[in-house]
Amino acid sequence: MTYKVGLVSEEVTIRDNTFVLYPEKAVLWKTKGILLISDLHLGKVNHFRRSGIAVPHSPNDQNIERLIALLQEVKPERVLFMGDLFHSHYNQEWEVFGQVLKYFPAVSFELVMGNHDIMSDYQYLKHQLIIHREPLKVGSFIMSHEPIDEVPEACYNFAGHIHPGVHLRGKGRQGITLPCFYFSKDQSLLPAFGAFTGLYKIKPKVDDQIFVIVDNKVLKV
Amino acid sequence: MTDPELLTLAHNWFTEKGWKPFAFQEEAWQAYLHGYHGLVNAPTGSGKTYSLVMPVLLEYIREQQETGISPGSKAKGLRAIWITPIKALAKEISNSAQRAVQGLDVDWQVKLRTGDTSPSEREKMKRNPPEFMITTPESLQLMLAQKGYEKFFKNLKTVVCDEWHELMGSKRGVQMELALSRLKTICPNLRVWGISATIGNMDEALQALLGSSLQKGKYRVIKSDIKKAIEVESVLPDDVEQLPWAGHLGTKLIDKVIPIIQKSKSTLIFTNTRSFAEIWYQKLLERSPDLAGIMAMHHGSISRELRDWVEEALHTEQLKAVVCTSSLDLGVDFRPVETIIQIGSPKGVARFMQRAGRSGHQPGALSKIYFVPTHSLELIEAAALRDAIANGVVEDRVPYIRSFDVLIQYLVTLAVSDGFRPDEIFQEVKGTFCYSSITEEEWRWLLDFITTGGAALTAYDEYRKVEVENGVYKVTNRRIAMRHRLSIGTIVSDSSLQVKYVSGKYIGTIEEWFIARLNPGDVFWFAGRNLELVRIKDMTVQVRKTKKKAKVVPSWQGGRMPLSSQMSVVLRKKLHEITIKDFDHDVELRFLQPLMDLQKKRSHLPTKNEFLVEYFKSTEGFHVLMYPFEGRAVHEGMAALLAYRIAKIIPITFSIAMNDYGFELLSDQEIPLYEAIETDVLSADNLWQDIQASINSVEMARRRFRDIASISGLVFKGYPGQQVKERHLQSSSQLFFDVFNDYESHNLLLLQAYEEVMEFQLEEARMRNALQRINKQKIIITEPDKPTPLAFPIMVDRLSREKLSSEKLEDRVRRMQLQFDQ
Repeated sequence: MTYKVGLVSEEVTIRDNTFVLYPEKAVLWKTKGILLISDLHLGKVNHFRRSGIAVPHSPNDQNIERLIALLQEVKPERVLFMGDLFHSHYNQEWEVFGQVLKYFPAVSFELVMGNHDIMSDYQYLKHQLIIHREPLKVGSFIMSHEPIDEVPEACYNFAGHIHPGVHLRGKGRQGITLPCFYFSKDQSLLPAFGAFTGLYKIKPKVDDQIFVIVDNKVLKV
Repeated sequence: MTDPELLTLAHNWFTEKGWKPFAFQEEAWQAYLHGYHGLVNAPTGSGKTYSLVMPVLLEYIREQQETGISPGSKAKGLRAIWITPIKALAKEISNSAQRAVQGLDVDWQVKLRTGDTSPSEREKMKRNPPEFMITTPESLQLMLAQKGYEKFFKNLKTVVCDEWHELMGSKRGVQMELALSRLKTICPNLRVWGISATIGNMDEALQALLGSSLQKGKYRVIKSDIKKAIEVESVLPDDVEQLPWAGHLGTKLIDKVIPIIQKSKSTLIFTNTRSFAEIWYQKLLERSPDLAGIMAMHHGSISRELRDWVEEALHTEQLKAVVCTSSLDLGVDFRPVETIIQIGSPKGVARFMQRAGRSGHQPGALSKIYFVPTHSLELIEAAALRDAIANGVVEDRVPYIRSFDVLIQYLVTLAVSDGFRPDEIFQEVKGTFCYSSITEEEWRWLLDFITTGGAALTAYDEYRKVEVENGVYKVTNRRIAMRHRLSIGTIVSDSSLQVKYVSGKYIGTIEEWFIARLNPGDVFWFAGRNLELVRIKDMTVQVRKTKKKAKVVPSWQGGRMPLSSQMSVVLRKKLHEITIKDFDHDVELRFLQPLMDLQKKRSHLPTKNEFLVEYFKSTEGFHVLMYPFEGRAVHEGMAALLAYRIAKIIPITFSIAMNDYGFELLSDQEIPLYEAIETDVLSADNLWQDIQASINSVEMARRRFRDIASISGLVFKGYPGQQVKERHLQSSSQLFFDVFNDYESHNLLLLQAYEEVMEFQLEEARMRNALQRINKQKIIITEPDKPTPLAFPIMVDRLSREKLSSEKLEDRVRRMQLQFDQ
C-alpha cells in the first residue's frame, strides 16, 4: 500500500506569511520552504511490544509511508521536527527512519528537542539530524516543542507537545473528537503526526482559528 | 465418629450458644459431609455462614479420627478458602469462623488475606498457610501467580463462594470460574460451594459456579425458607399537584421525610446516585439543623476511612441517620437500623428488597421501607415494587460469557508463576460456564496474542511477554512479571482525582470532568461539607474547608440504572390497572387518578393490549412519543432504530430523548409517522443489522473497551516511583481501540467490546422481545394539543441533555408547568 497525499489542504496567512496545512498533519511554511512536523513518536509501537503489550505493527508502516509521501509531494528545503520525534529508548524503528532520511540528501532535517527525545546524541548525529536544544527562532517565528507561556510581542509561536483535538457536537447527541491545527493570535499548535499517539481535547476561544482533519481533508470549523 | 455423632457436636455447640439450627443449615451440613458440591440459597443475616463453616470443620474432625492423628501434630496446610466479594464482610466471617473453631475445639488458624494484608504477612502465610483463609477473587488470582502454587493448594478441600449472586454478574465471577477450574485439577477431591441470595436465574448461578462438575451430578441446591415480611409505604404529598411531573431529586417531600427520621432510632436514607446523596444530606441539614452531628453520609467516592467510621458509628448507635447509596446495599448488618427510606425508584426489585432488608433484624420482624417519589409517575413504580415483592419476582444476574480479557489475564498469571501447558489448560477452561463455547481457533489466537503479540514473527520483532520453553508457556522477564502482578484484577477504577486537604488528609475522589469546570476559589459541596478549591496538583485536588456556601455539587457518571426487565413487566401491569380503574391494592394508583384522567383527556391511557403513540407539533418542532415501558437502555436503542428506519423513508434529522417509560423523536420537519407505522418500522426483522447501522456502536464499543484494555493488560496505570521506561508505556484504551479497529478487526478483544454493547448495554434480546410484544398490540396514535403527563418528563430530559445551563432549564421547566396548570 502506498500512501497518497490528501488533496484537500488549507492555507492560512499569519503575519503576512503563508502556511499550508496538510491532512497528513504537517505544515508547510511556503515562503521559506520549511516543513513543520511535530510529535511523530516513532518507535512507540516497538516500545510497547517489547514490554509485552500487543500493539499491531501497522501504525509504524503508516507513519513511514505518510512521511515519505509528504516529502515527495511537498519537496521542502528544510524539515523541522518539533519534538517527540522518537518515543523512548532506542529501538529498531530508528534505523527505519534513518533509511528514509537517506533518500532525501538535499533536505536539511532538524529537530527541536522534546521531552520524549531521550536518546544519546550519537543516535541523532548518526542520521545527520541538526539538533536544537532551545526553541528555534526563524524571523519573528519561534518554533518550540512545548508551547511558550508568554510569546514576546511581535513574535509568533509554533508548538507541538499538546496533540490538540477538538470536540464537535451535532444533533441527536452525535459528537466526535478530531485532531486539529489550532491558531490563536500569537500561537499555533500542530497536530501530532504519529499514529497511535492520541488526542488532548482543547477548548478553543471565539477568536481562534481551528482546522480539523477528517477523512484525509483539512477543514476549517 | 459417625456422621450423626459429628452432627451432634454441631448441635451441642449451637445449644451452648442458645441457637437452634435452621432446617437449611442442617441440610447443608449433611450434604457437605456426604461429599456434595452445592449452592446454599439464603438471604443475608440468616445464619448462612454457619451452614458451611460447620461441616468444613466437622469433616476435619472426622478425618482426624479416621487417621488417628492427634490434634496439632503436624502442619495441615490450607484446607478451606472462603471467597467474599467485599472486604467489609471478611472480618465478620472471620469472627464467625473463629468462634466455631474454638467452639468445636479444632486446632485451626483462621486468617484474612485481602488487598490490605501486608507483604510480610502474606509472605508468612505462604510459608505457613492458615487452615481457613478468607479472601477475595483478586487475592486468589494473586496466589495463582506465586511460584509453587500447586504445593500451596494441595491440601485444599473446599472453596466457598459467598454472595455468589454478586460475583457472578461481574467479571470477578469469571475470575472465580477460572481459578476453580485450575484448583479442581490440583485438588481432585475439591468441593465447590456457593452462597447466594435469591435471583431470577438460580440455575445459571449453579452452572456458572460448578462448571464441569455439574455433569457429574453430585450437587445439591439448598433453599432456606426464611422469608422476610416487607411493607412498602409511599410518602405522599397532601395533594397530587404538589408533586412535579418530572424530576429526579424529590426534595419537595423533605418536610414529610424529616418526621420519619425523627421518630425512628436509626434510619438509612438510600438515594440512587452519589450526587443525590450529597444534595439530600445538604438539604436535610438545612431544613433540620438539629441533625448535625448525628447524621452522616456514605457513598463510594468518600474515603474508606470516613466510610469505616460511619459504619462503626452505625453499629454503636451513635448515628440517627445516614444518607447513602448502593455502597451500603451489601455488607455487615447494622442491627440498630430501624427504618429505611428510599428516595426515587430503585429501578429493580432485588435492589429494593435488599435495602428494605437492612432494617428489622429480629427474626420475624417486619422490614418497613418508605418510598419517596421524585415525580408523580414514579408512584406507579412504588405500586409495581409492592406487587413484585408479593409475587416473589426478582431479577436475573446475567453472567459474563466469553470474556477474553479475563482469560488473557489468567493465562499470563499462570505463565508468571509456574508456567502452563496449553492442552491441559484448554480442557480446564473449556469446562467453565464462561468459556464452554470457546473454539480451538480462538484458543490459538489467544496463545498467539500472549506469545507473539498477535503478529506474524519477523526478524526484528522484539515482542516479549510469554515465552514457550519445551511446551511450557512462561514469563521469564521479571519486569513484565511484576507489572502483571500489580495489575491483576477486573475492577477498573474511573479516571478520577483524589480530593485532599492542603494538609494532605484524604477525603475522597471526584471525576476529572467535573473539577475541570471549576477555578481556584470556587466552592463545591462534597462529603457533606463546603470545600474551596485551592489548586490541582499531580492528579490531586487540594481543598480547604470554608464557611462560604457551595455553588455546585459534583456528580459521578454512570449513576442511573435503567428499569429492570422484571420491573417493567409489573409496571405495565399496574398501568393497566390504572386504565381499568382497579385501585384496590395500591393507594398510589388512587392518588394518581387525577393525573391519569388528564392523560386520558389529552391523549389516551393504554390498556395492556394497546401501544400508545403520541404525535404533535410545538414551537420546537414535530414530536413523536412512544411508550414501551422497557427502561431507558432499551428505549435508547429503539429510538435510534426507529429514527434510522424513518430516515430511510425521507431524509430527516432527529433529536432523541428517553426515560424509563418511553422515548421521543423530535424533528424540525414533519415526521411521516403514519406511513412509518404502516411500513412496519417497529418490526423485529433485521434487528441486528439495523441497530448496527443506526447506533453509533463504534462509540459505545469504544467506551466498553476501557475495561477490556485494562483487564487484558494493554493499558498499564503505572505505580509510584516508576522509571521513564514505564512512564512511556502509559496510554489510553481509546488508542488501542482505534488501532485495533483500523488494523486488526479480527482481534477477539475488539469483538468482545461489540458483543458486550449488544448484550449488556442495548440488551438486544430484551429489545427484540419488546418489539415482538408491540407488534401484537393495537397501536393507538393520538394527536394531543399539549404535551401529556407521560410525555412531559421525557421532553424535560431532552432539555437537560441539550446542555442548556441549569438555571435556564429550571426556568423552562417552571414555565412549562405553569402552562400545564389550568
